[in-house]
Amino acid sequence: MKPQNKSIATLLTIIFLLSGYKGFTQTAQKADLSIAVNYFISNNKVPRLMVKVKTKVNGRFQNVAGISLKLFLDKDTAGKFIGKVVTNDDGEATAYIPPSLKSQWGNSLKHIFVATFDGNKKYESANGDVTVAKAKILIDAGSDKTITASVFEMKDTSWVPVKGVDVVLAIRRMGADLAINDTPAFTTDSTGKASGDFKRDGIPGDAKGNIILVAKVLDNDQYGNLSVEKTVPWGAKFTMVNLFGKRTLFATRDKAPLWLQLIAYSIMFIVWGILVYLVFNVFKIKKIGEDITAGIKKQ
Amino acid sequence: MENLIINEKITKGQLPKNSVSIANHKIISIADEKIISDLLPQKFGKAGKIWVGVLTAICLVGLYAYYRQLRYGLIVTSMRDYVSWGIYISNFVFFVAISLVGSLITAVFRLAGVKWGSPLTRIAEIIAVAAIIFASLIIIVDMGSPERFYYLFIYGRIQSPIIWDVIVITTYFFISILLLYYPLLPDIQILLRFKQSTGKRLYRFYSFIGSFWKGTPEQFRLSEKAINILCITIIPVAFTIHTVTSWLFATTYRPGWDSTNFGAYFISGAFLVGAGAVVVAMYIFRKAQHLEKYITEDHFEKMGRVLVLLALLYLYFNMNEFLTPFFKMKESEAEYLNGLFSGNFAPLFWFAILIGMIVPTLILLFKKGRKPLPVFIAGIMVVVGAWFKRYLIVTPTLLHPFLPMHDVPESYRHYFPSWEEWAITLGSLAGAMLIITILARIFPIIPIQETITEQHETTK
Repeated sequence: MKPQNKSIATLLTIIFLLSGYKGFTQTAQKADLSIAVNYFISNNKVPRLMVKVKTKVNGRFQNVAGISLKLFLDKDTAGKFIGKVVTNDDGEATAYIPPSLKSQWGNSLKHIFVATFDGNKKYESANGDVTVAKAKILIDAGSDKTITASVFEMKDTSWVPVKGVDVVLAIRRMGADLAINDTPAFTTDSTGKASGDFKRDGIPGDAKGNIILVAKVLDNDQYGNLSVEKTVPWGAKFTMVNLFGKRTLFATRDKAPLWLQLIAYSIMFIVWGILVYLVFNVFKIKKIGEDITAGIKKQ
Repeated sequence: MENLIINEKITKGQLPKNSVSIANHKIISIADEKIISDLLPQKFGKAGKIWVGVLTAICLVGLYAYYRQLRYGLIVTSMRDYVSWGIYISNFVFFVAISLVGSLITAVFRLAGVKWGSPLTRIAEIIAVAAIIFASLIIIVDMGSPERFYYLFIYGRIQSPIIWDVIVITTYFFISILLLYYPLLPDIQILLRFKQSTGKRLYRFYSFIGSFWKGTPEQFRLSEKAINILCITIIPVAFTIHTVTSWLFATTYRPGWDSTNFGAYFISGAFLVGAGAVVVAMYIFRKAQHLEKYITEDHFEKMGRVLVLLALLYLYFNMNEFLTPFFKMKESEAEYLNGLFSGNFAPLFWFAILIGMIVPTLILLFKKGRKPLPVFIAGIMVVVGAWFKRYLIVTPTLLHPFLPMHDVPESYRHYFPSWEEWAITLGSLAGAMLIITILARIFPIIPIQETITEQHETTK
């Protein structure tokens, strides 16, 4: 190898080896995370936390999956640890308050839920919290198809009605809840009650006509998300018709509809019957010809 | 009228139609003999041999391409997940369409009492038989492995339009064969008289298929009855065959196929291309076999009028098929429609409309345009335009599914047939023409007995 080529080869080797050295790379700037903590309580049972993690990319918020978060009740200390969760593809993670924190829960009328993230290679450390007061919601359905929701807050040792809370009265459906009438939300009065008339007569229910009514307080600054359900027999009886294994156009070959078979096979039988007759007709013509030939030969 | 005594003894009471007997011998006039000698099948000349050689060569290339498809699978084609029906199915629809001419010229004309069409009936029937044979074969080619055709019968569902198509194509094939065969019987009897000129093998073949025909009134009665039954049967079967073919598309929810108009649209197009094929064949046979006395200018004049009517009818259905979706321009169909009107497929689309319908109509509207050569040119335009029209019915739709294509290889987004697809398709077209050529070599292309009968009726 020529000395000039040798030095070029050496230089290229050094560049190649140094390309792996991190000192050449720019330090990537870590992104910030936004952590939202939401509080849910359904049918006045065990409270649930749902954490949503987002980050801003090109000016738009995007959900962040795979973020490991620690959840605490009131304080970021070991004795008040609710649990560790990891966000899913929607940037969400859920946890229930464990029985070990029952006494802590009973000690106060208001609680702070804290979510912390320690940071990683891509994101800075972050935290989020939500403060909620203890509250409950009740639902009642009258015989005149009036639905009443009552919202109460725990004050000292008793439940006190709350005025001015927006309540959604709806029917549980498969995809989303359907409002009981055209009013999207009702506001509680001084007795903590909000009422609405059921205007969805004829809505399909289960086999007995049962439907599930739901009263919801959504994203309330003080109480978080409260909901309660009640089953009433106000729907139309719905009998599920399962076409699987029945005679349909989309069934297997042995389950073809009879009307289709009748029509198709009748047409085939008639047309092919004609064709068979016409083939026999050829033999008839042949016979006449053969008889003539035989007659000529006899003569 | 001068008469010849044919050396064939017949018994009393068994005299053929339009013949008289002297001392138990059949008598045929000199005029009839002239007709017979004019219409007998002719051996291939130099041009004929070259023609057969070229067609055979194209078929052999197609067979080699099919061997490659069998050896390596359908991957040798350009068909992928989206365009799973490509040039093969376009060709299949073309063959099914062209086969409908048998029912138009033979059955519709016969039942409507159109006498002038009788010299064209055999041409139409031969085209129908050749086309329906290759329609069936091309479907097997499209399936990939041929044993899948067998599975169709074993596992086929009567609910599926594909099974309906298999049934009606088979039925139509048998009807077309019978409709070709029955009117041939009297001609076979004539052909058997020319043992020397026909050759041994052909003579044996004629004897096998028709030596029993003696031309007795009873045989004529049975044959006429059978032909009438066939003519009545073939019309609904012909309508069914192409309506069911259209339903293969219309029952599939895709842009451009979601139409209630498809059955009528396909049938009108089929009659047009069938009539186009007949005028092309008429011109070629007239020239090749010197049949100017039998396929006259008047036939071209009348077939020209039929073509204009059918072209205008098909144009009307095309307007129905494209104008209303164009007016609405639904978002889900916009890309497909724009692709046809002004996009990638626009040159082909406007070629099919202009060359397949509008220009032939303009040519044939004028008396001078209905002379043999212009009619022949218009016929070629109709047939070529019709082939591309079938391609446009199949491919653009498959390239524009309702749900957008995501994360698919680039080859899924486009379709241009591979050389194997072209070779097989051209091979099938050559094969159909080869069958027509061979049948025209074996059988009289114009019914001899029928021409003699008509001659006698005219003389009376």
